[in-house]
Amino acid sequence: MKFGHVFKETLKNEGFPPAWVESAISYSQLKKCINRLTTELAAVGLTPTTLGALLKHVEDYNAATAVEDEPRPFEYILSEQPGPGSDALAHGRAARKPFHPKLLFHVSEATGELLSATLDEDTRKKLQMLAVESGISDRRVFEEPDADRKSLACHETTHVPRPGNGAPRQRPGCRTVEIPLTSDSEFFAKLAAELSGLEALQARERRDMHTQIEALGKQVAKLTDPDHRSNRKILAVWRQIFQAYVESGIFFGTTEQDHTAHDADKATVRFHEFANKIASTGLVDKLKKPENVRALNTFMNINREILQGLRFGEINRMAMMKILKKFDKQTALGVKASFPAKIEYPEFSEHLAKAVCAEVNTQILAHVPQIDDYSCPMCMDLKWRPVKLRCGHTFCIRCLIVMQNEKQHKCPLCREPTVVDANSDNLDLALAEFLKKWFPDEVKAKQKYNERMAGIDEYGEVYDGKCMVM
Amino acid sequence: MSLPKRIIKETERLMADPVPGISAVPHEDNLRYFDVTIEGPSQSPYEKGIFQLELFLPDDYPMTPPKIRFLTKIYHPNIDRLGRICLDVLKSNWSPALQIRTILLSIQALLGAPNPDDPLANDVAQDWKKDEKGAIETARQWTQQYAK
Repeated sequence: MKFGHVFKETLKNEGFPPAWVESAISYSQLKKCINRLTTELAAVGLTPTTLGALLKHVEDYNAATAVEDEPRPFEYILSEQPGPGSDALAHGRAARKPFHPKLLFHVSEATGELLSATLDEDTRKKLQMLAVESGISDRRVFEEPDADRKSLACHETTHVPRPGNGAPRQRPGCRTVEIPLTSDSEFFAKLAAELSGLEALQARERRDMHTQIEALGKQVAKLTDPDHRSNRKILAVWRQIFQAYVESGIFFGTTEQDHTAHDADKATVRFHEFANKIASTGLVDKLKKPENVRALNTFMNINREILQGLRFGEINRMAMMKILKKFDKQTALGVKASFPAKIEYPEFSEHLAKAVCAEVNTQILAHVPQIDDYSCPMCMDLKWRPVKLRCGHTFCIRCLIVMQNEKQHKCPLCREPTVVDANSDNLDLALAEFLKKWFPDEVKAKQKYNERMAGIDEYGEVYDGKCMVM
Repeated sequence: MSLPKRIIKETERLMADPVPGISAVPHEDNLRYFDVTIEGPSQSPYEKGIFQLELFLPDDYPMTPPKIRFLTKIYHPNIDRLGRICLDVLKSNWSPALQIRTILLSIQALLGAPNPDDPLANDVAQDWKKDEKGAIETARQWTQQYAK
């Protein structure tokens, strides 16, 4: 199936909002532009085969001479932007200036022959004709300042037969001829405008999402507020849902082996895994109250929107690459490699997904503390009761008692001898209050465990926490 | 005695989020005993070698360090013929905040940075100091021969 068709179908069937579809890259119109350009080129005798041969020749010529300030005998320039000393990167950042692509070749002033060309007769004649014609009707001799070498060097090494920035250089006894074309300007202007449109759309989306996320964050904070007794049970449920969410690593891998951003396909799979997990473990049912269910639905919708944005960005990026490839295939002008470097290449929605995910983390997930952030580095259980050593590191009281009994005096994290002099003054009361408030069940369980272990210390293995009559 | 929460948590994470180039799998009948493999670090004489080790968590772990030994024969100044390893964090510098995964990473790093000035295998360390090139070559040969 042709990409143009696939693109259209995807835009139609993926349920994107109409405003998005309107901003998508207009693949078919750009295709028509290319067709017109091909006609224009053919009219002056430059078929893709001829152009391909010419540019190939230039590439070979450049490779062979390797002299940096030799002008290319034949070149296609995407946009002629002045500015000595500015390199390709600086140009790329300089916003989206209108494109004035030029197809240039240099001919000998005397003979009108293409410089240093070893072309077949046919092509040579065509070009000579062009040179002569343009010499009469549209003669353009360039008086050029020294082109900056930096950009030139950069292009020499990449062997792209096109010096993107530097204006064509004049050399004695030679004349620069421009082949007048209009469809290519039209093509690049359209593409650049659409990319700007996509960026604007992305910025709007981001603001919308920001508002949504902020609102949901406040809602979640209210629903899980531990100061309301009625929220007690729900807090644990939300905690488990968010823990499952983080562990699913939907948009970014969080393990040693997978720590990159995911593409839309992978993220979709992970998202479904997460949705199934919270449904199958009964977490969704435990939410009960309608306002909790509504909040979860909003949360899921925000994630769906991020996914959709990711998908939309991917297909637009693909559309751009495909249309440039087509451009090259039809004209042999070789822009696919150079165009993305010429413009501020939009990151599309990957960027958006990253930013929005960060907001989800800080605005929503952060309202419900996770136990892993409050676990003792030794027993890996909740740090209850928390004891803060002189060096600033906090452990649970049980582990420190064991350390003191074993005469291990150094802090496990920094090796400062701070364990030895810890006493009841080191209890972290503020943290204790916090833990009691946010992890009531876990605190109870750990308290029981600590007491049982202390009993074992005192009475030996047989102690099981119950009063026994011997 | 039941398995402490810490050992369960460490094992879970080793399974769910393994360290690249390192694996540690507990025995079904003794969850304190692990079969370990470590890949030799790239650009070391142990590159491409896969080394088997055994790891045991004593009763008072993490107050005392795990006991670890190479099962694969290896030519290294800090590892002796019985596979015992000379590494400070396994002895005097052990801290209960260290874990199985961090210790195995230290061992992998030791393969990348042999230290003949603090030897356990005296003969190997002497060879290493006398003729480093030759010793590295021997280490490479042993790796090819034994660490498959």
